[in-house]
Amino acid sequence: MAVQDYFLPKSLDQALDLLVEHGPSLLVMAGGTIAMPLINDGVSMPEKVMGLRHAGLNTIRRDNGTLVIGATATLTQLGQQDYIPMLQEAVRHIGGWQIRNMGTVGGNLFAPPPAGDLAVALLALDATVTLASKKRGLRTILLQEFFTGFMTTALAPDELVTEVRVPLPRGKTGYVKYARKHANTPAIVTVATHIVTEGNKVVDARLALNAVGPHPIRAQRAEKLLVGLPLNAENISLAAKEAAAECDPSTDAIATDWYRRRMTEVFVRRVLEHLVEQE
Amino acid sequence: MPSRIVAFNLNGRDVEVMVKPLTTLQTVLREHLHLTATKSGCRQGGCGTCTVLVNGEPMLSCLLPVEDIAGQKVVTLEGITPIEGLHPIQQAFFDNYAIQCGYCSPGVIMVIKALLDRNPNPTRQEIMDAIAGNVCRCTGYEPILRAAEDAARRLQSA
Repeated sequence: MAVQDYFLPKSLDQALDLLVEHGPSLLVMAGGTIAMPLINDGVSMPEKVMGLRHAGLNTIRRDNGTLVIGATATLTQLGQQDYIPMLQEAVRHIGGWQIRNMGTVGGNLFAPPPAGDLAVALLALDATVTLASKKRGLRTILLQEFFTGFMTTALAPDELVTEVRVPLPRGKTGYVKYARKHANTPAIVTVATHIVTEGNKVVDARLALNAVGPHPIRAQRAEKLLVGLPLNAENISLAAKEAAAECDPSTDAIATDWYRRRMTEVFVRRVLEHLVEQE
Repeated sequence: MPSRIVAFNLNGRDVEVMVKPLTTLQTVLREHLHLTATKSGCRQGGCGTCTVLVNGEPMLSCLLPVEDIAGQKVVTLEGITPIEGLHPIQQAFFDNYAIQCGYCSPGVIMVIKALLDRNPNPTRQEIMDAIAGNVCRCTGYEPILRAAEDAARRLQSA
């Protein structure tokens, strides 16, 4: 059955009203880079679709120490800000030019692994997600709490993602996407990190991984292991082994679970070594 | 299923089309307006051959509901092709044997057009980055890169 109605709300209010009115029969999309392929293929056959391209959620601004990214800001827009270079780096590794012009920051949170190469960087930066509903207004949760499983999130049926807030990093950041090609390709593993040191010791560590779990994940055991220790070759090696042990990769057309786990160790080590070299 | 009228600017002319909900720009171009330079490839956003410029930005017409671009400026390969002869980018593709089966060419040429509009003298790496979203199924990337470099020279000396 063909799509019966396509809504293009002009504001968040209109969008939330439509969500209440049409309920779960309404498929929500922004840039269309996830939903439209499924619709074109007949895999998804929604009765009604809502596009958020004109809902006024596409601004990126700095609010003191926080980068506030509207949910429908495109990846191209995010690549043009220079407050957080790691996000520019992440954007460069997503899709091709056309996909970056269409795909959105909010939409990337719903991209299942091995896609989701922006969300993993946001996770390493302690990003929060703002959710809006008609009845309950706004709520803000950690991105880490937003992901609940493979293709499932904490988003309620009457909610929309309105913005992603990213605290400007206090420490050093690193990002690497390892894949079978250099560009426009799904990841074997993507690693994003944010490490704060005082003196020669790590005081805060974030180590986020993608394509090696049901959603972008944090390697929390590896993070804990690093805190209080100097970032040297020995500790980096231990953290990399721990990250490989705690990730949960699966096999797909890109790589086997075995290979992904091996590469997780290799690339966590390389990202952390690169942070040390920067000194 | 209510159809709607959507107006936009296509290759410098205002057009109006009557579409069913969620009709893509690709369908409008090829099936409503019979402008078939814009190809239909994977319809998954993976091949790039349906690339058109929307307000100068390369976008995939297969993933773009035409209602989203109401009132905006769309340029397709037909829009840059002169009535007589070829656009310098097209001529450079021809002269450098950058067209094999030709299926990727319309998309690649639109991306090269967008690149050269922004950056008249790109490096080889910048060209590679620009066309990363376009698949050449003949794998003829080297002649495409040569053609893009040649096109940049031609446009600068023109």
